[in-house]
Amino acid sequence: MNTSIKTLLFLAGAAMAMALSALALSAETTLNAVRIRYMGPILDANLPEWKKARPVAVPMLPQMVATPRHLNPVVRELKVRAAHNGHWVGVLIEWKDPTQNDRIVLDQFGDMVAVEFPIGAGKDALPNPMMGNPGGRVNILQWRAAFQHDIDAGEPQLRDLYPNAMVDLYPDQVLRATDARPYTGALGVDNPVSRPTASPVLDQMAEGFGTMTVKPDQRADGRGVWEKGVWRVVITAPMATGNPNSPHFIPGDKTVVAFAVWDGGNREVGSRKAWSAWVPLALAR
Amino acid sequence: MPKVYNWQIGREMEYPYDGARPQKQFAMIFDINKCIACQTCTVACKTTWTAGRGQEAMFWNNVETKPYGYYPLGWDVNILSKLGVQDMSSPIYKGKTLFEAAPEGERVLGYLPEDLDYAHPNIGEDDSTGLMAQGAFLQLPHMQWMFYLARICNHCTYAACLGACPRQSIYKRPEDGIVLLDQGRCRGYRECVKGCPYKKVYFNPFTRVSEKCIGCYPAVENGRQTQCTITCIGKIRLQGFIKTPDKAREDSPLDYIIHVAKIALPLYPQLGLEPNTYYIPPVHVPPQYLRQMFGWGVEQAIARYRQAKEDKKLLGALLLFGATSEIIHYYKLEGNYSIGYDESGVELARVPLREPIMLRPVYDDRHQTYRSNIT
Repeated sequence: MNTSIKTLLFLAGAAMAMALSALALSAETTLNAVRIRYMGPILDANLPEWKKARPVAVPMLPQMVATPRHLNPVVRELKVRAAHNGHWVGVLIEWKDPTQNDRIVLDQFGDMVAVEFPIGAGKDALPNPMMGNPGGRVNILQWRAAFQHDIDAGEPQLRDLYPNAMVDLYPDQVLRATDARPYTGALGVDNPVSRPTASPVLDQMAEGFGTMTVKPDQRADGRGVWEKGVWRVVITAPMATGNPNSPHFIPGDKTVVAFAVWDGGNREVGSRKAWSAWVPLALAR
Repeated sequence: MPKVYNWQIGREMEYPYDGARPQKQFAMIFDINKCIACQTCTVACKTTWTAGRGQEAMFWNNVETKPYGYYPLGWDVNILSKLGVQDMSSPIYKGKTLFEAAPEGERVLGYLPEDLDYAHPNIGEDDSTGLMAQGAFLQLPHMQWMFYLARICNHCTYAACLGACPRQSIYKRPEDGIVLLDQGRCRGYRECVKGCPYKKVYFNPFTRVSEKCIGCYPAVENGRQTQCTITCIGKIRLQGFIKTPDKAREDSPLDYIIHVAKIALPLYPQLGLEPNTYYIPPVHVPPQYLRQMFGWGVEQAIARYRQAKEDKKLLGALLLFGATSEIIHYYKLEGNYSIGYDESGVELARVPLREPIMLRPVYDDRHQTYRSNIT
């Protein structure tokens, strides 16, 4: 991208970010992360302790700054709760979605939701909520329905995607693993979006449009369940990792959080999405 | 959007990035008149590169029958229909390119095919235009027409796949102009599949990212032509490098055929991508159809191609098709021979402009039989 376009995008993004931040703060929609006793990663959407956390309705807006855009993303509001146990912070996100999209073929996209935290920023110098900005890094934890399907039901084989397909043989059935590797494409180079590692959540960072990078250390986890037209997704991350590219959460602290959501059934993917402004986040002592 | 110069449409145009031409540009010429759709190229490519999981319906190289064959289904008529009628009445294109026609919020005018559009790669095979009237009999030229169109990625100068990708996962190599898709960086958004009007970027549902023709770069880096070229039994292809018209070299067979003789033309130049595969148009097809497909100069190209036997320089370049597996950078005529050389001047191929005629006696004394073929 040439420099003038980058600058323009950044300025537009920064201006919109300031406007949106002001909007969010004035609405007094602080998300309070309640302290819970449950230890370990907070993965269960049905934990009774979620009842202690007050839900916040987060308005979702179409991404209109960077191209390409989807002018009419479906999800306009997320219901969000937060909790922590001193070691792990968890966010429960719920939204209405009449279709469960977790099969990925050319013309079918997956449902996704993401939580974004600033990395190492003071409250006065927040990064752009729209994927950060050069020098303003953000941590983005993205849950993918297709990964959840892989974990729950197993990785799809050809017949799962195309029930009537016929194939004689594949290179990996007749060649040694090293010789067959060139035929495995993105899987052969360990592309992190091809398959989940151990969790349906990708732990990533960004500092502007087009810079999303999956971190080498994957600590975040999550779990999503679709039932009766509603996705209920929990995303959880360690509060302190020692990694300078991860946010460091301290009980009693105040920070911000933002969200993005994709409805696969509406062909929302990448920058074609709905996103939120920064929402104040307060962690209970 | 920055402005770049596209010589195929004779003017500047908008493109998402600044123009930067590679040191060398990968190019290929197809002589459509010689293609018999045997699909040897398709199979050579398939077995070399796309035999893996998720690549079952993926053909980086394909051969389709025109006008009724398409892979994926309707790729050309779909994008032409979306672009609408454009003014192609002069060498300087007055219509809109796909970048200039991009809708609000998009980088390029495109469309995402349906998954099932890839399910029948040989649809329309050998279908001719029109119906045969009662009492029809064989005539030359034939009353109806069709032809075979072999296709690979065009390794465009202004690639729409590259321009459409929001995270720069696609790049054009400065050393040879081959357009590659980074398998580690792609996140499977499919913007490139949507943006490429030739539909030469494919989505792999098993790896969940997109893939495309790699121009056989490991071969090209070692001075060899692509698999689809060297396996072509009809010798319809020549792969090498092309220069821009202002720097054209008469001693390069590709430059001579494309820039000097002007008998090989780009596929849908009006879309604005400056594609780098070139076609010698079929001589028997109505020019109005060919003009839409190959742009300005189709009639002149066919007329000059028909006279190729009178033009030794052109004939010499055409005879180097399929003469060697190596990439021919230069050629010259010496007596009755056309000689092709590699980049450092080593001789690669020596082809007679006119094959000597050998006549054998009609009666074979040794086997005491008559010969049916004596030349």
